[in-house]
Amino acid sequence: MQWFEDIAIGTKRDLGTYTFTEDEIIAFAKKYDPQIFHIDPEAAKKTMFGGLIASGWHTAAIWMKLAIADRERARREGQTLGRSGVSPGFEDMRWIKPVRPGMTLRYTSETIEKIELKSRQDVGIIKTRNEATDENGELAFSFIGKGFVQRRPAT
Amino acid sequence: MSNELLHFEDFAVGRKFFGGPYRVTRDEVFEFAREFDPQPHHLDEEAAKQSMLGGLSASGWQVSAIAMRLFAEAVILKTANLGGPGCDDGRWMKPVRPDDVLMLEAEVLSARQSGSRPEIGFVKFVWRLCNQREQVAEFVVTTMPARRGP
Repeated sequence: MQWFEDIAIGTKRDLGTYTFTEDEIIAFAKKYDPQIFHIDPEAAKKTMFGGLIASGWHTAAIWMKLAIADRERARREGQTLGRSGVSPGFEDMRWIKPVRPGMTLRYTSETIEKIELKSRQDVGIIKTRNEATDENGELAFSFIGKGFVQRRPAT
Repeated sequence: MSNELLHFEDFAVGRKFFGGPYRVTRDEVFEFAREFDPQPHHLDEEAAKQSMLGGLSASGWQVSAIAMRLFAEAVILKTANLGGPGCDDGRWMKPVRPDDVLMLEAEVLSARQSGSRPEIGFVKFVWRLCNQREQVAEFVVTTMPARRGP
């Protein structure tokens, strides 16, 4: 079990890649972000983006999907991560480049800070810098994530 | 409703916009979690009770997406807008449960003209997504570029 105490600042995990499809971009946006450049490929051509792009919240949700898959992969390799999976929030979310159908993003997550809580002894908070880069290695998306991680029991 | 679009000049500091109500269904909590956030506290009633959240809860990313939907309806789709660069801050303050009814209050925090592009300005909003118990479930600070009026 990897507890809060075991996590080293500077540890970076490669969460893998995801290729966005037009159908998924449109389906997500119709439900949650129905702006014309997210839902209508033809009309999107006449906007400042010059074509269909994914909702920024879709790009963020895919980070979560890959982070969970990474955690499961670690578990299968016998490395159980002590993350509760519960988060108090995020900071500095930046949608830097438009994400278009067919684009493949590579997501990474690096631990940058550990915060001990005065209010509770059973968990701490780790902060991570999360990034997604395009096929040319250029930064497309980033944010600072926060997650509650179980502390090593004091026995 | 007027067909006139809102422009940068319409976003006076302190002006509030309202969105919702939005009822969260159990099915959509499961559907979103299966696709994007397959953790027990979003998918399994019993496991959720044992978790930090104390019961079945929507993914925070789904909560953000719902807030986005309500903000789009209340502001963006009525605005000469230009996409969004991001969010300075996002806080998940209360779990969102199936059958919660959410309302969005979006308040203008600041508005500044672009230095490099005189035809646009940047409007900073705070979103408060409230549940039927009048608790703030999510708090977000986000910036929306808007065209200046003719």
